Amino acid sequence: MNTEANILIVDDEMGIREGCKRALSEEGYAVDAAEDGKTGLQKVKEKNYDLILVDLMMPGIGGMELIKKVHHCDPEIITVVITGNATIETAVEATKLGAYDYLPKPFSPEALSVVVKRGLEKRMLRLEAKKLYAERTQKMLELVNERSRLRTIIGCMADGVLVANLEGRLVLWNASSVKMLKSKGFDIAGEPLEYYISNEPLIVAIKEILNSDDQDFSMISHEIPAQDEKVILMANIAPVRDEDGKILGAVTVLRDITALKEINKIKSQFVSMVAHELRAPMAAIKGWLEVVVSGEAGGDAEQNKQWLQRAMDRSDSLLALVDDLLVINRMETGKVAQKMGPVKINDIILKIVDLLGPDAEKHKVSIAAELAEDLPSIQADVRDMEKLFTNLISNAIKYNRKNGSVFLEGKVEGNFVCYRIKDTGIGISAEHLSCIFDDFYRADDERTKKIPGTGLGLTIASKIVNSHFGRIEVTSEPDKGSIFSVFLPLEHRKD
Amino acid sequence: MTLKKRILLVDDDLDFLEMHKVVLVNHGYEVITATSAQEGLEKVRAEMPDLIVLDLMMEKHDAGFSFSKQIKSDPLFKKIPILMVTAVADATGFKFSLEKDGYWMKTDEFLDKPVEPAVLISKVEKLIGEKED
Repeated sequence: MNTEANILIVDDEMGIREGCKRALSEEGYAVDAAEDGKTGLQKVKEKNYDLILVDLMMPGIGGMELIKKVHHCDPEIITVVITGNATIETAVEATKLGAYDYLPKPFSPEALSVVVKRGLEKRMLRLEAKKLYAERTQKMLELVNERSRLRTIIGCMADGVLVANLEGRLVLWNASSVKMLKSKGFDIAGEPLEYYISNEPLIVAIKEILNSDDQDFSMISHEIPAQDEKVILMANIAPVRDEDGKILGAVTVLRDITALKEINKIKSQFVSMVAHELRAPMAAIKGWLEVVVSGEAGGDAEQNKQWLQRAMDRSDSLLALVDDLLVINRMETGKVAQKMGPVKINDIILKIVDLLGPDAEKHKVSIAAELAEDLPSIQADVRDMEKLFTNLISNAIKYNRKNGSVFLEGKVEGNFVCYRIKDTGIGISAEHLSCIFDDFYRADDERTKKIPGTGLGLTIASKIVNSHFGRIEVTSEPDKGSIFSVFLPLEHRKD
Repeated sequence: MTLKKRILLVDDDLDFLEMHKVVLVNHGYEVITATSAQEGLEKVRAEMPDLIVLDLMMEKHDAGFSFSKQIKSDPLFKKIPILMVTAVADATGFKFSLEKDGYWMKTDEFLDKPVEPAVLISKVEKLIGEKED
């Protein structure tokens, strides 16, 4: 520090100034001098001094005032009073104002050197203390910021967070956890978990972690029922450890997995339903093949051919089922985007009537259509529309009676184009009516048994209508017939 | 000349009904059919068959169970052996065994669809033979 130390001498006596300057310069200090208080203060403002020697008795700004002002500029600066009128009173007063030491005139260069050295050491300590203080303040600030940031982060999380200390007391939590656990009183921190939470399995799980001796595990996951029995929570509980691996507390992250569970359940139900629907026709096909191959039925060539034809028919229906499943999958996964464009439904319907003509003839069902000629085209996917009306019209044929009829009507109703498909068939009873759009639902009775169907035709129809923002309605009277009405929104005119 | 044994087939799947029928008829049985549990009960009363081949799952999923329970709890019909067939046991992983489930599942024999014709015949012969003894 010696070489770098800046020293200022403020004294109106030139002899003192020069003498001190020479003595201190020889010791390697950088020394400046001022002949009065005003000049001295000016120099302090311009340059950082470590130590100032101040004469108390000066014209203008006196020594006392200078000490006061200098300490105002730099509280860590060391001031040493030099004066000829050395009295205890002046020394005490100067010390009160911040002076560090006192050197009575006349003094020897050695005495000066000792005082300056001691003063500079003090200066070093003061600067160090100031630095540490600043660092500490900064650290405190960072800590506060960090805590606030942490609270903000966990506060924003949709997952619930609970932090408990080793004694099982709650130290940190977020709003989601309060909501998920429907807890009472999260207003204060530091109470035992039981104070806030009445979820017994969760408390047991957290305490199990806190009391664990196991050094290795990092997290345990539990499925925990919430108070509301419909809600299922996944609790991931992890111990917080010190450097030696000793447990200090536990962090619990709660996730509401109710929806996930529900989706899984629906998926399993669907898979088992599909498996059953696929297995029945497969078993029938295999059964017929076994009848022929084993020869146990003893049929001749003509009979065997008929039985094989039964297997063929059943494989057709199996194929139709797989096709329908693929259509549903395509619509639900959105793998193939709909190609929306202007579609004239009338054209599609006439084409389908043409295609289904032989089918209708076979069932001895007549088809009539009354489609308003000026119907505007609508925004739709052509393939979807073909599938939709094929399903509905072929149902009207399939479930009709002998010599029955199908009547198709198309017109504008409000903001929709409306198509009605009326049949004179077996109808649908009230108990079945609410279920006919469900997957694989078929109103099984004596009459429908012999009519092939996948049970997915209306499911697909309703999915198509929904994806076009329309609606499908059905009215039916058993033994009289059914009316399916499809409403598809008109295109918004741009003008 | 012995009288032809009469077998009642109850199944809502017409393919199974017919394929079982052609096999059984070829082996000298007289076959009557029903496509629902209700029709099956009527045919049992009217025809008094020597054996019933029953589909487990019909229009209502437990139709086969309740049908067999009804038969087995009726003093007039309980001696009629029942051969239960199903297309779903494998798919659902729901395995039945007569030792384990016999007390609640009132049936004499249990087979997965499709039943091999030879197996069907041997089970039918066995059940009708036991009834005779």
